Amino acid sequence: MERTGHTKVAIVGAGHGGHALLDLLHRVPSIEIVGIADRNPAAPGLQRARELRIPIIAEVPDLIGNHGASLIMDVTDDPEMETYLHAHRPPTTDILNGSSSRLVWELVQHEFKLEAELLQSEKLAGIGSFAAGIAHDINNPLQLILGLAENLAEERNLTAVHEQANEIIEAVKRTSAICRDLTRYSRRASPHEDVLVPVNGKLDEALRIARYASSFHDIEMIKQYQPSAAVTGNPDELLHVFVNLITNAVHAMEQAGGRLTIETSVLNGQVGVRISDTGCGIAPDKIPEIFEPFFTTKSPGKGTGLGLYNVKTIVDKMHGVIAVDSQIEKGTTFILTFPKGEPTGQEGLS
Amino acid sequence: MSEFKSGSFIGGETCEGRVLVVDDEPDIRKVVKMTLQKAGYEVLEAENGEKAIEVINSGENRLLLDVVICDIRMPKINGAEAVAYFRNNYPHVPLIVLTGFPDTDMATSFLRQGVVDYLVKPVEGEKLRAAVARAMEQRELARL
Repeated sequence: MERTGHTKVAIVGAGHGGHALLDLLHRVPSIEIVGIADRNPAAPGLQRARELRIPIIAEVPDLIGNHGASLIMDVTDDPEMETYLHAHRPPTTDILNGSSSRLVWELVQHEFKLEAELLQSEKLAGIGSFAAGIAHDINNPLQLILGLAENLAEERNLTAVHEQANEIIEAVKRTSAICRDLTRYSRRASPHEDVLVPVNGKLDEALRIARYASSFHDIEMIKQYQPSAAVTGNPDELLHVFVNLITNAVHAMEQAGGRLTIETSVLNGQVGVRISDTGCGIAPDKIPEIFEPFFTTKSPGKGTGLGLYNVKTIVDKMHGVIAVDSQIEKGTTFILTFPKGEPTGQEGLS
Repeated sequence: MSEFKSGSFIGGETCEGRVLVVDDEPDIRKVVKMTLQKAGYEVLEAENGEKAIEVINSGENRLLLDVVICDIRMPKINGAEAVAYFRNNYPHVPLIVLTGFPDTDMATSFLRQGVVDYLVKPVEGEKLRAAVARAMEQRELARL
């Protein structure tokens, strides 16, 4: 067996098991996936392999014999395949199948569950910092409502009564919209809910939520939206990505104010989202670390260090790419690129 | 120095005093004004700390402004900065903080700086008028 520090994995079977394995293993730097094979050309894992640029090998003998695999992972759950692989594997290659393969499958599923938990707990930790913003946005309309209602108790001019009653109704609507936004944001992202999501609407929703987490007072806002920008993914998770990036951008400009620019574009079958600030920037030596779990520049108790890690996890899952361009004291731009979402008949309810 | 009491400068109408309301929300300025005008106060408005400082430094306000009611979470110069400015430059003008976010630490720090009252929105008209009346008493004492 080659001991280069790399495990070279060949995956046999591209059903849901193979698909999940690809999603997990391709993110581990010490694992190289040398190829995947499945008899069924429409297997979901093969599509995922194409997106991840992992070689699809038509025949199992070719996959196990000619691609330098040190480990064959058989997720077909097919006894014939098990027998075949044991008989034909190269002598230096290990096989994972049968109950050990099922064990791995269970661990993979467990890992995805933990990932979802991590996302949820980071989100809930962040909501604590919304308290001041929420209190401000609820108590202001309440003050208006109370003031008007006190006045109405004595108001004799009927036109004024009508006007003020309408003002109260509008203020109540504004207040209930706050609760609607927040409950949508705080709910657990429902799994496997990939739908077509209009990006611009999600960005606007994220902006409303980010206002609770940070002060937009001295920030100039520029939006340049391409109307048809839509991607395929989980709307709740995409919202979380945008809230995170916008909040970071605004925090970076906390000291001196600045300009927040949000752009969307559609080009060559790809949807681009750029979120730029003119804030403090990220030191060049820190940039490689920003997507690592528990990396934070915020003071203890202010950030979980999981924000950008979760952002990257979600973007990866949506088959997208995230890049960052930053200069100290000039600002930071996050550039996200997703495959353009095609209508599936299931429109994302944004 | 009782001749500086603003009431005596506003001819004809009864004027209980001149109050400056500092809040970035026009709705809040409107209802606070409505509430205080009913009690006979003259109400000036400013949308942030910077404007508030402009107002207090303009013309007769330097002498005639009696009470400032100030929000905290505002753009430009925020409420905390404005409060510090007023305390340093116009220590005789009583301040009332009217905020949407109850924060005990902040309240303590403001009261220590000599703020008359720390009110949390939504506040009843009666309570607000009582706070302004208390502030007016302080203002009168400062004039003696």
